[in-house]
This record gives sequence, C-alpha cells and structure tokens, in this order.
Amino acid sequence: MLLFIKKAGFILLVFISISTIISFGSLWSLRQSSFYKPSFLVNNVLEKEFDYIILGASTGLTTLNTRVIDSVLHTNGLNLSMDDTALSSQHLMLEHFLAQGKIVKFCVVAPSINDYDVKSNVLSGNDYRFLPYINTSYVSNHYNRYSSQSAKLLYGSKWLPILGVSYYNTEIFYPSLLALINPKKRNRFDEKGNYGYPNKNAKSRSITEFKELPISFQNIYLEKISDLCKLNNIKLICYFSPINAKKVVTETDDYTILNHSDLLKNTSFFYDDIHVNYKGRQISSEAFANDFKLMIK
Amino acid sequence: MLFNSIDFAIFLPLFFVLYWFVTKRSLSMQNLLIVGASYLFYAWWDYRFLALILLSTVIDFLVANQLKKEERKRQRKWLLFISLFFNLGMLAFFKYFNFFIESWTDAWQVFGVNMNVSTLKIILPVGISFYTFQTLSYTIDVYKKKIEPTSNIIQFAAFVSFFPQLVAGPIERASHLLPQFNTKRIFNSKFAISGFYLIIWGLFKKVVVADNCAFFVNQIFDGSAGYSSIELCLGALLFGFQIYGDFSGYSDIAIGVARLFGFSLMTNFSFPYFSRDIAEFWRRWHISLSTWFRDYVYIPLGGSKGTKWQSIHNVFIVFLVSGFWHGANWTFIVWGGLHAALFLPLMLLKSNRNHLKSTKVYLHQVPSLLITLVLVTIAWIFFRADNLAHAYQYIVDMCNFSHSGARVFYKSSKMLLFSSIIGFSILILLLFEFIAVQKNKKEVELSTFTAIFIVILICFMGVFKNPSEFIYFQF
Repeated sequence: MLLFIKKAGFILLVFISISTIISFGSLWSLRQSSFYKPSFLVNNVLEKEFDYIILGASTGLTTLNTRVIDSVLHTNGLNLSMDDTALSSQHLMLEHFLAQGKIVKFCVVAPSINDYDVKSNVLSGNDYRFLPYINTSYVSNHYNRYSSQSAKLLYGSKWLPILGVSYYNTEIFYPSLLALINPKKRNRFDEKGNYGYPNKNAKSRSITEFKELPISFQNIYLEKISDLCKLNNIKLICYFSPINAKKVVTETDDYTILNHSDLLKNTSFFYDDIHVNYKGRQISSEAFANDFKLMIK
Repeated sequence: MLFNSIDFAIFLPLFFVLYWFVTKRSLSMQNLLIVGASYLFYAWWDYRFLALILLSTVIDFLVANQLKKEERKRQRKWLLFISLFFNLGMLAFFKYFNFFIESWTDAWQVFGVNMNVSTLKIILPVGISFYTFQTLSYTIDVYKKKIEPTSNIIQFAAFVSFFPQLVAGPIERASHLLPQFNTKRIFNSKFAISGFYLIIWGLFKKVVVADNCAFFVNQIFDGSAGYSSIELCLGALLFGFQIYGDFSGYSDIAIGVARLFGFSLMTNFSFPYFSRDIAEFWRRWHISLSTWFRDYVYIPLGGSKGTKWQSIHNVFIVFLVSGFWHGANWTFIVWGGLHAALFLPLMLLKSNRNHLKSTKVYLHQVPSLLITLVLVTIAWIFFRADNLAHAYQYIVDMCNFSHSGARVFYKSSKMLLFSSIIGFSILILLLFEFIAVQKNKKEVELSTFTAIFIVILICFMGVFKNPSEFIYFQF
C-alpha cells in the first residue's frame, strides 16, 4: 500500500507543482498583455481621465463606436464592453476600472435588454477573462458569489490556479501562449475597445411595426452599479441598443435612459435580431452622440 | 456518475479509504460496500432504474440456484427461459420497443397502408445492454454446468452491479469475475499502480482525444451537406478516433479502477487501429462483446462447423445482432452487416486467423493497416449517421471530390487551435500504442515520467467545460 501511495503521491505532487508553475506563468502572461479587456485596460490604456466609458455585453460592444462618438463630440471615450457578459460582469468591470485609479464622468451601461430584468444572476460566459486578477478582492468576491461549478473553480484558482486555467484551457492557457509571443495582440477589438459585425447578408426591408418590450429594472446589479457611480461622482446612463422590430418601454424615473431600441427602421442595419452591423453601428453611434451631447451640456 | 467528473474524483478516494481501511477485515463487508457504492454510482443518473438492476439480480440469482437443484431437462429449460425472457424482454422493451413499432408501421407504409400507432416515451436505462448481457452469461453458464452458482446474494449483487464496469463494460463473464468476489483481497501495490496508470491513460483518451475530436465530428456530421469531400473524409476519420478514445478510454478507466480494489477485468481493446485486416480488428475491438457473441451466439449456432453456407449464415447473424445490440436503428444493423461483408472474404479464404501470434507491425504491413483503417472508417459513417439516408448522402458527398479544401479545420483561430490539439493528441496516442504493439503488450505501459507528462497533457489539452457523455452509455 505504501509503495502505491508513494508512487501515486509523487506523480500527483510533481504534476501539481509543474501545472501550478505553468498556470501562474499563464496568468502572468495574460496580465502583461492586451489580449482580454481587463488586462487591456491595465496595460494599453494609458489615459487616466475619460469623459465616458461604455460597459456592456455584445450589444454595447458592437453598437456604440467610441471613435464615431468622439469625432462628433471631441470627447475621450472607451468601450469596455465584452460579449457574453451580464450586468454583474459590468459591475465587476467598473470596479476594475476604478481600481486602476482611473476617472470618468459618464458611465453608459449597455447590456442585453433582458438583462435589466434578471432577478437571479449567474456567472457570465466570459467572466473568466478576469481570472488573471483573481488576487484582487473584487474579482475573487465576484466568483465567490455564484454556486456553479465553473464559478467555484474560478474562485478556487486563488489558491490553486490550475483549477481555472485547465478548466478554461482553450480560453486562458492557449491565449496566454499567444500573449507571450505578442503581448500587444487584442482579442477582436480596436485600441478604443470597439468591435463591429460585418454588413454581409443584410436584407433590406422596412420595419414598420415595433412590438413593445416592457422593462422594469429588477436586476440588483444595476442598483450596485448606480451606487458605485454615485460614490465616485459618475453619472450613469442606461442605454437601450436597437432591436429588430421591438421597442423597449419603461416607466422608471430612477435612471437616466437613452432609448434607441426603435432607432433603426430597416433590417439592412442588423446583423441579427439584437445586434447591428457596421452600417447600423455608424447610425446608432451618431444618434448616441447627438443625444449624449445634450446630456454633457 | 461520470468517470471524468468532480463527483467521481471525490467518490473514488472515499470509497478507496472505506474499502481498504474500514472494511478490510471482512470480505462480506467489502462486498456489501461494493454493492452500496455501485448502487450509489448508478443512482447518480437515475435512482428509479436501480429497481431493474435489483430485479435482474434477484431473478438470475434465484434461477441459477434453482438450476443447481434441478436435474430434469425440461424444468431446466424452463428456468433458463425465465432468465432469458426477463433479461431480453427488459432490453427489448426499454431499447427496442419504439424501433419495432416504427419499423412495423414503416413497412406497412411501403404497401400504402398508413397505420396510426403511437410510440412510448421510454427512457433508456444507462448500461442496460451491458449488465443484462453479463447476468445472462451467468445463467447460461450455470445452465450448461460450466460454473457453479453462488449461494451468496451479496456476492452476486456485487458481480452484477460492480461500478467500474456497470454502465459500459467490459462485459465480464461470471467464470472470471464472480470468483474474485469470493476471494480475500490483498492490496497489491504493483497491480494498483498499473491500474492507476491505466486510469491516467484512459482519461487521456477520453478527455483529450475523444472530446476534442467531438468538436469537429459533431459539426461535420450535423451539417454534412455543407462540407467538402476532404472535410467529410476527415470528419469520418475523426469519428473513428472519437469513438475509440471514448469507449476504450472508459474501458481503461474501468479496468484501472477495478485494479485499485484488487479486481482483474478482461482487456476490452487491444490497439484496434493497428489491425492488418477486419478479422484482426474484431479480435482487438470491444473484445468482451465480440467474445460474448462468439460464445453465446456463434458457437451455439454451429460456428464454422457445417457447410460453407451455414458458416456464412452464422457470421452474418452474429455481426447483424452485434450491430443491433448497439442501438435501435437500422444504421447499426447496416454497420454490422458491412463488417460481416468485409469479414466473409477472409473467412472463405481461410485467412481470418492470420495475425494471431504477434501484434508486431512490420513496414510491409503498413498498406494493409491503412486499408483496414479506411474500411473501418467508412463503416463508422453508418454508426454515427442519424439514419440510413444521412449515411448514404454523407458517402455520396464524400465521393464527389469537391475541391473546397478543409477550411473547417483552420478558418478561425479557435478551429486551428482544436485542429492542432487533435493532431498532437492522436499522434501521442498512436505513438504510445505503436510502442506497445511492437513489444507485444496487452496495454500501454507508462513510466512515472510519461504518466506525469500525460496528466499534464490532460490538464492543458482536455475538454472540461463542455464534456461529452460517454458514447456507449446510450447503448
């Protein structure tokens, strides 16, 4: 028995040691890079002060182009949206932004519309991108809030990084190798954090009817974002991105709202039902700039 | 409970401690613990189907013990019939009921008769094909007086439900496994270490090879009309590696886990992709099932004795039934039939036992090795396709030699990454197996350092986020 325990123990010990070193290296490599938004913000965004930041999911990422907005308003904006994330992730991103000592006047949240009403939050698909910062309290607390297996593994990475790195090996380990070779490489976004969907296959058809989509802001994380904004003297704007043939309606006065859900009246501006394409992004960003101009004043 | 799950990673060491440290002194307690743990292992999926295992255990136990007392031929036949009726009836109901109904109505539709017969929503109990075959072999062997029945129901329950091989084999024979439940277990470090290595190797085959292959295989087979000839060919080839990694990986883990508790299970796979003809392939692929069919179907039918036509008839029956065992779909029957058609020429030319003595592959044998791989791969298309029309269209599309390359494997960085992982892992798999084949070994042997290397590969190349279920669970 002793021989077996010694042998199995030795194999496990050597494996854990080597894998832990590799995993630490992997997270270190990502921390030095610009591959994902959290480390891009730390390493590639040198400015300290911004007029506005956009925190959103794929809708915020692909609808609002800060280059267009800044060219109209002569402002300094940054898009920190990430696809497949929720308001909870956007709260985490705001915490991460503030933790870097950066200052912003306006915070525009642009999640998926339905996310405004989510009551029970779960770990978002791309929250693993914060894993390189697991040793900060706001990231580890974020993972610790959820009961899913992936959240537990991410939280456990605080002590044993192989848990998160191996579970998300294609998303963390291999990109970290890429980051090691080219630390400046970004994962599908430009130097202002923008990304867009192409125009191809966009059929042109007028949208005449818009079905109403009621929203009542039940997600607790919007309140948390609002509180964090107040604490840091940031004005919060809730943005509703264009949706194909739907109009978001809400009765709340608690938040400043920019409702562009029914802005686009032709299907050729859409990539799919909830995402715009390049053409749609241009129009949406210009419309945003025009409305935002009034708010700045 | 999946072998590649966190649940099992907690379950196994707990069971190990209880088995070797708490119940070590009493064989009955160890067996009772095995039964309890096995039932828990099975209940993790669906506790309701435990009743079937329990029923199968009780019926076969009673039948076998009655067979021991009974000497009258007619009564013995009746007792055997009860066991066959219950086990095969259970299998027929849960696995084949809807298939028979659908085939029956489809057949009438050919003659223009539309029958409105509704099917049942039946959940297939995991591993039913495996444990029913295992218990069947027990009663048949007792009936043939090849083995003595056990009078200890706990031992028999442990034999039927032994968790390492309960849901996907190897399908053990009572003559091999049952006596082990009646033998005092002494921990053998070397044996346990070999089991530990086999678990590592099995996990590599499942988590790295099979689950990564599944990434492309599922895409290609689910939308086969949109892919080029090369992509379809590679899709079929990758499915061959997926199913091999998946099933033989499970078997390796099962054998390895059993060794940790002092049990020896039979080898289920012996490097089938190093076979030089189809006959050799079937001596190396799912050995526990093919030998089961040989002993309980082929030989009772007369085997190769009798006329040439009788032998052909027997071979076809065995392959068709073997195909049907895999699933209630015509695709599996055609798959079995195809293998029979490939096997027959070898049998007729009396060259089906050509490579019995040595597994060692020589350079001049590489072409026959590749031809066998191609034939097996074509047959796999039927195994994986949703229906016969899908399989037929897949082969037609594969053979139209469209020249749009193999873009699916490199069109995005993610695809390229998966392609690289798959290529590298298959290379490692074949390299380790080639070494074992050349040394005439029964299984891949790892050293301490190669074991560490493989575990690291599992960690950084394995699929953990969206793991696929073991394919053979559905059978």
